[in-house]
Amino acid sequence: MRDRTLIPSFQRPPSNVMIRRATNYEQDLASLLYESLCEFSLSMKRKTVLLKPNLVGLDPLGVMNTHPAVIAAARECFLRLGASQVLIGDGPAMDRDTEAIIESVRLREYTGPLAHTFVDLNVDDVERVRLKTHASRLQELYLPKTALGVDFLVSMPKLKTHHWAGVTLSLKNMFGIVPGSCYGWPKNVLHWAGIDRAILDINAAARPDFAIVDGIVGMEGNGPIQGTPKSSGVLVFGNDPVAVDATCCRVMGLIPERVKYLHRAGTLLGHLKPEKIQQLGDDIGGVRTPFAVLETFRTMAEKTDGLE
Amino acid sequence: MDLAVALRLASDSMEASPETIFVEAVCRPYLLNAQNADGGWGFHPGSQSRVESTCWALQTLVDSFSPETPQSVTRGLQFLRAAQLPDGSWPSTPEEKVGCWVTSLACCVLVADKHSSKAVAAGLRWLCRDWPQDSTPWRRFLARLSSQEQVAPMNNALRGWGWTPRTSSWVEPTSFALLALRQCREDLLPPAAMRRRKLAEGMLYDRMCPGGGWNCGNPRVYGVAGEPLVVPTAWALLALRDHPERPENRMSLAWLENNIRNIYGAGSLALARICLEAYARGWPASAPALHDFYRENEFLQNIQVTAWACLASSARRHWLTAAAGRVA
Repeated sequence: MRDRTLIPSFQRPPSNVMIRRATNYEQDLASLLYESLCEFSLSMKRKTVLLKPNLVGLDPLGVMNTHPAVIAAARECFLRLGASQVLIGDGPAMDRDTEAIIESVRLREYTGPLAHTFVDLNVDDVERVRLKTHASRLQELYLPKTALGVDFLVSMPKLKTHHWAGVTLSLKNMFGIVPGSCYGWPKNVLHWAGIDRAILDINAAARPDFAIVDGIVGMEGNGPIQGTPKSSGVLVFGNDPVAVDATCCRVMGLIPERVKYLHRAGTLLGHLKPEKIQQLGDDIGGVRTPFAVLETFRTMAEKTDGLE
Repeated sequence: MDLAVALRLASDSMEASPETIFVEAVCRPYLLNAQNADGGWGFHPGSQSRVESTCWALQTLVDSFSPETPQSVTRGLQFLRAAQLPDGSWPSTPEEKVGCWVTSLACCVLVADKHSSKAVAAGLRWLCRDWPQDSTPWRRFLARLSSQEQVAPMNNALRGWGWTPRTSSWVEPTSFALLALRQCREDLLPPAAMRRRKLAEGMLYDRMCPGGGWNCGNPRVYGVAGEPLVVPTAWALLALRDHPERPENRMSLAWLENNIRNIYGAGSLALARICLEAYARGWPASAPALHDFYRENEFLQNIQVTAWACLASSARRHWLTAAAGRVA
C-alpha cells in the first residue's frame, strides 16, 4: 500500500528528471527504459505496480494515446526490476468502451493477453476519499481501489497540449483514475469544480510515484484529441510528476509557471523551479521542440527570441 | 469454463447460431454466477454491488425470464429497491448519498416489476425535478458574454440530463432518461414529463455530429467536427426511435451501419446490434462476432458488457418497449 501522506514542496528533496532521446517506436525501448530507470535506484522487489497511460479515445493511427510500445516497455522494465505484478489501467473520459480503445491502439499485440492485466478504472471497485487540499469545491471523490491500493503508481501521459488546461502531462493524466461509473463520460463534475483545481485535488489524493512521458510523437494545438501530431523524439522520466511536467513544458517551449495548475502544484505537490530539479540525460536545450498552442494559451509560450 | 469447450458442449445439445450458443453457454451462466450475496452485481465477478451493473444483469434475466432465474431476479430487485435514496433517486454506489443518471436505468428495470410502481414513480419524479445547471437562463446569459459559445456552439435552451445533478446535459444520460420516460406507464409519469421529453429530444438532435451519429455531446469544438462513437450513437437512436423517418435518425443509422466493421469492442458491437434491430435493420452476416471478442479479452470480465451481449442475442427485447408487470 502506498503512503498517502501529502508532503508540501518545500519539505521535499530535489527531484530527478531524465530526458532521453528516442526517435521512433520501433527501437528497443525496453532497453532504453531499463537503463534509465536503473539510474533512479527504484526499489521494486515484490511490489504491485500500476501503469496509468493516457487512453483518451479510438486511435488506430496512434497519435493521441500513450503508444503501446512505451507501455509494454515500461511493463517489462518494472518486472525486470523485481515487481511481482505490473497492471495497466485507465478510465477513458469520453468513451465508455474501454476495450474498443485498447484494441484500437493494438495494446494486446505489444503486451500479450489483457483480461487479467488491464484494469478498466472506470468500473473498478471504489473507495470514498476525503480530499486533503480543497483546491476545488469538491469535498470528496470516489476513487478506484486499484489505483489507491497498489504499491507504486506510474503516470504515463503523452506529451500534448490541451484545449482547456494548456497542457496534459503526468498530473492532468490522473483525471483518468476518476471513475466514469460514478461521474460519467466525460467526468463533468471535475469540469464544474474547475479543471485546474480538480487536477490538484486528484493528485494530492493519489500522487503518482513516478512519471514516464511519451514524447516520441506528441500533439500540439487543439489537443488532447483533435490536435496535430508533433514529433519530439523524447522520453521524459522522473520521481516527481510536477518536475517532470515542468521539464516537459520547457521541452515544448512553454513556460511551466504560466500553466495555472502547474504553478500551484509547484507549492503543493513537487518542484517546478529548475534549481530544485536535477536534470539527467539529455539537456533540455538540445531536445527543445516548440509546440503550437491555441490562442487562449498564447501567454504560455516562450518568445521565439529565447527570452521568457 | 474455456470458451472452446463451452461452445462444443453447447453445440452438441442445441440447434442454434454460434452467437446464441455462446451466450447461453458462457455469458448467461457467467452472469448468474456473478450475483453477490446481497442480490446485486458488481462490474466484475466478486466486486462490490453497484446499481448500474445490477440494472443490466437484471434486465437480461428479466428479459429472458426462465424457470431457473426467479430467485436471482427477486434478489436483484430487492437490492435495487433497497438502494433507492429517500428523494427517489439511485446512487452510482450504495455508499453514495446523492443520486445520479443510474436512476433512469433503475426505473427501466423496475417498471417490469408490478411491486415497484411506487419506487419507479418516485424515480421519475426525481428525474423530472433534476435540471442541468448549464442551461439556466443566468448561465445562458453568461455564456453569451464569454467566448464559450464560439468554442463549442450549441443551443443550451434545449435541456436534457447530466451524469450527475446540477451539471451539464450529455447524450447518454439524456438518452437513458428518455428511455425511462418512454417505457413507463403513463400514470407513473409526473406532469413535467412531456415537456422534459420534448426538450431532451431537441437537445439530442442539436448535439448530433455533423455527419450523423453522436459522441458524448460535443458535436463541434474550436470549429472542428467531433467524431461520433458507437455507444452514445446507439443509445441516442434508441431514445429517439419514435422518429424513425427524421433525416437525423436516418443519417445516424447509416453512420452506424457503415461502421460495424470498424467496431473494436464487444460493448459497442452488442449495442450496435440492439440498436439496428430495434429499427428493423438487418444485422449483417459479415459483422464481427461477440464470441471472437470474448476470445481476445474475455470482455475484460465486465458484467455490464456480458449483459449487453445477452441482450443483443435475445430476440425478445421486451425491455425496449413499455412493459409493466412482466415479473410476477
